Amino acid sequence: MSLSISLSINGAARDIVLDDVRVTLLDLLRERLALPGTKKGCDRGQCGACTVLVNGQRVNSCLTLAATLDGATVTTIEGLAQGDRLHPVQQAFLEHDGFQCGYCTPGQIMSAVGLIAEGHAGDDADRIREGMSGNLCRCSAYRGITEAVQDATRRMTAQAAEDAA
Amino acid sequence: MLYRPESLDAALALMAEPGAVLLAGGTDVYPALRDGMPPDRMIDLTRVADLRGIALADGTWRIGGATTWTDIVKAELPPRLAGLQLAGREVGSIQIQNAGTVAGNICNASPAADGVPALMALDAAVEIAGPEGLRTLPLHTFLKGPRQTDLQPGEIVTALLIPDGPGRGAFLKLGARKYLVISIAMISAVVEIGAGKITNAAVAVGACSPVARRLTALEAQLTGATAADIPALCAKADLSDLSPITDVRASADYRGEAVPTLVARTVLTAMEAPHVA
Repeated sequence: MSLSISLSINGAARDIVLDDVRVTLLDLLRERLALPGTKKGCDRGQCGACTVLVNGQRVNSCLTLAATLDGATVTTIEGLAQGDRLHPVQQAFLEHDGFQCGYCTPGQIMSAVGLIAEGHAGDDADRIREGMSGNLCRCSAYRGITEAVQDATRRMTAQAAEDAA
Repeated sequence: MLYRPESLDAALALMAEPGAVLLAGGTDVYPALRDGMPPDRMIDLTRVADLRGIALADGTWRIGGATTWTDIVKAELPPRLAGLQLAGREVGSIQIQNAGTVAGNICNASPAADGVPALMALDAAVEIAGPEGLRTLPLHTFLKGPRQTDLQPGEIVTALLIPDGPGRGAFLKLGARKYLVISIAMISAVVEIGAGKITNAAVAVGACSPVARRLTALEAQLTGATAADIPALCAKADLSDLSPITDVRASADYRGEAVPTLVARTVLTAMEAPHVA
């Protein structure tokens, strides 16, 4: 039996009919909505490659049934940049070599965006490592990732202060 | 079919027909779905407002069943419940904590469920709604074995109930790496202290028996102990209630060796200072 949902994906309203209610958000994004930036790693919540934001919170899209998301707001890696201007976290990952092969990178970046929004890690390296521990990097680019998150946090904090002034 | 009820009554009505699988965070359900036959009917409980939230009334903390670990970690709770919050920080990853729920953790009934020792050390009870109304039973009675609970057909866990009180809690998890790992063993302790001595202690151990266990004999010995007494008391603690097994994560011997040391560290941490960052 099919089921209809309406949700916002990267700012665009989408009405979707799900023929199989067991489809995950990850498969919906990649196979139905032409948004393959979100990666399928382990497909069971152990690697974080599929991390997206649902209503602003980081979740593993491989563990989220699309059918449960009626009315939700979803942000994927494709929704971060504004035109040619990269999101500060994307820019920081480039500048700090926060990746090698790049497969885990969309998940790392979405997780970092979520972490910075949560606001309790600041630029403390230990807290960032704990907060990013749901995202594995088999190339072990962790040092660059931590530095990128620290740098992006500082830039975004400074930008927020400037905007408020 | 997936149902998304918005009230407990609607959810219970859906449960009247047998065979439905309850879904909250889904972090345990989905990996299992892919390996087996899909259930005909699933009921998503995350839209039932009564099942979410943390409140103190009449000396009891009520944590709604669909409350996520992130909700628990972020809540303003007394030091007594610090062990539960520390356990929440170690459930999977932040992504898992944002979705996974406290009732899901106990209903999944994994011997390695991080929430269970913390809840047991707090004397948590399980509130269950069913066709006959509400019933409440202690968590250690609710959990009957690996993947086995006392939940009957048609019933839903609606809340965890935790007596409020003084004292401080702590939680320590041993895994093969620091984060995102299934526990080799974990300990939760709640201690009350007067004049530098323990006046009341609760200690629970997980992943070393089919269901997490309280160390009641050790708890009795800890009464009257000072911090200096803890290592020796824990080193000769009676662990006969535990039955650690050898699995992919550790050997039974390793678990047996690790537990007394972990218990001592956890009790000492609980005695020292508030420590929820």
